Amino acid sequence: MSVVWRRRLLSVLFLLSLLALWQIVCFLELWDETLLPTPMQVWQTLSAGLADGTITAGIMASMKRLFTGYGLSLAIGIPLGLLLGRNRLLDDTAGSLAVGLQALPSICWLPLAVLWFGLSEAAMQFVVVMGSFMSITLAVRDGVKTIPPLFIRASRVLGARGWFFYRHVLLPASLPTLLTGAKLGWSFAWRSLMAAELLYGSVGIGSTLMSGRELHDMALVVAAMLVIVAIGLLFDRVIFQAGERYIQRRWGV
Amino acid sequence: MAVIELKNVSRHFISDSGVVPAVTGLNLTVKDGEFLCVVGPSGCGKTTLLNLIAGFERPDVGKVLVGGVEVQEPGSDRFVIFQEPALFPWLNVSQNIAFGLKVKGVNDAEQKERVCELLQLVHLSRFGDAWIHELSGGMKQRVALARALALDPAILLMDEPFAALDAQTRDLLHEEMEQIWQRTQKTVIFVTHNVREAVRLGTRVILMSPHSGKICREYPIDLPRNRFLEDPDVARIASVIRDDLRREAASVAEGC
Ligand SMILES: Nc1ncnc2c1ncn2[C@@H]1O[C@H](COP(=O)(O)OP(=O)(O)OP(=O)(O)O)[C@@H](O)[C@H]1O
Ligand SMILES: [Mg+2]
Repeated sequence: MSVVWRRRLLSVLFLLSLLALWQIVCFLELWDETLLPTPMQVWQTLSAGLADGTITAGIMASMKRLFTGYGLSLAIGIPLGLLLGRNRLLDDTAGSLAVGLQALPSICWLPLAVLWFGLSEAAMQFVVVMGSFMSITLAVRDGVKTIPPLFIRASRVLGARGWFFYRHVLLPASLPTLLTGAKLGWSFAWRSLMAAELLYGSVGIGSTLMSGRELHDMALVVAAMLVIVAIGLLFDRVIFQAGERYIQRRWGV
Repeated sequence: MAVIELKNVSRHFISDSGVVPAVTGLNLTVKDGEFLCVVGPSGCGKTTLLNLIAGFERPDVGKVLVGGVEVQEPGSDRFVIFQEPALFPWLNVSQNIAFGLKVKGVNDAEQKERVCELLQLVHLSRFGDAWIHELSGGMKQRVALARALALDPAILLMDEPFAALDAQTRDLLHEEMEQIWQRTQKTVIFVTHNVREAVRLGTRVILMSPHSGKICREYPIDLPRNRFLEDPDVARIASVIRDDLRREAASVAEGC
């Protein structure tokens, strides 16, 4: 336990000294204030934006998009991955298509999405889904393919067939890889959303970042970036670590 | 009454080094309630024989009949216990044992009751909530046995189930296995490398010859129960079988 705490202390100290360094650089006035805001200015912008609801509204709007988009990706990606892992024909066709399309950075879907859906929520969510569901599908597929054949045999002997087999054997057996895939899919979804919001702003944290640029408000730019980092970290630490612990308890190391 | 019949069964595999005959022209009849042990050198087709009866493999030639019906696919009337326990890590011990019952749609209360009995039977009552990775090798094999018995299969097919265990644990599991077999009157086919183990457990031992995938000899074991691995009678019969095994191996080596 003490080792854990020492490491935590160390990382806090590191961040604090970075903050101090930032403050010192500002103090020396090496750069113009419009190019490098002080930590205090960023803090004020951030707390004001949270208090008057401008940043909060951006966060809520982005989260809503993210949850629908990522939720859709999971809902499509997991069943599709399970099927691809079990069906050679599907894997050779749809699977290789997914591998190919993965080479396309998700933001490249935006022009197509805008032409199809107009400048709308649907267009942004389309980009998020295209950015993340394929990586989830492929991870689940690989998870299914690497399930020890012995598990499959044992489940056949136990009489598991059809839906029961998918739900109670394939899905849980591929859980460790599924989690890795979901995590990867999450980070792709988050990145795609930010890219989409930067290019096409309505309300959203990515758009807040962009309006900071337009207003030459460097403090707002940095504040928005900090929020984006915080959200990313929060999900990684809270949700996915809980998932990893769940798996560790069952599977062992 | 014969529950398992193999009639002139052959199964070969194609590998890089050519055609490998795993089982050739094999005839075998196993009676209800028999404890049949199968011994033979590595690669002689023991696992293939079990897989054919289990329904994981289909014969190229011949017929595999269980209860007079030709085997088409795996089924829970013929339960396979593998060398590695093949327990599901995402379920705890009780849930693993209950899995087959759940497939059958047995209600929760009944599942619980059955699991409780079975845990007692394999001496693991305190470990119902444990995760699989927390168990020792012997405990895992016990859970696998309990999971098999939950479905009350008429036939147990066991592929070197105790090979990876230490001597003490194996002795203990021999006793438990013997008791369970006596109580439930199941038909058991038990594959092993260990000739003494075969004599200690079996009502009959068959010896498969290396590389030809045939049964070359049979030994009825009429020793009284309960036997021990160290019994002089067990040792005597085992040494006869071992000599035959060596002779078989030598004759094949000459043929090369
Ligand atoms: N899936 C397979 N593909 C190719 N060859 C196989 C396959 N399964 C078994 N064989 C071959 O068939 C022969 C019999 O194999 P089998 O596994 O039945 O032997 P075994 O008696 O169980 O051996 P062991 O005691 O080592 O487990 C071996 O020569 C093996 O190489
Ligand atoms: Mg084998």
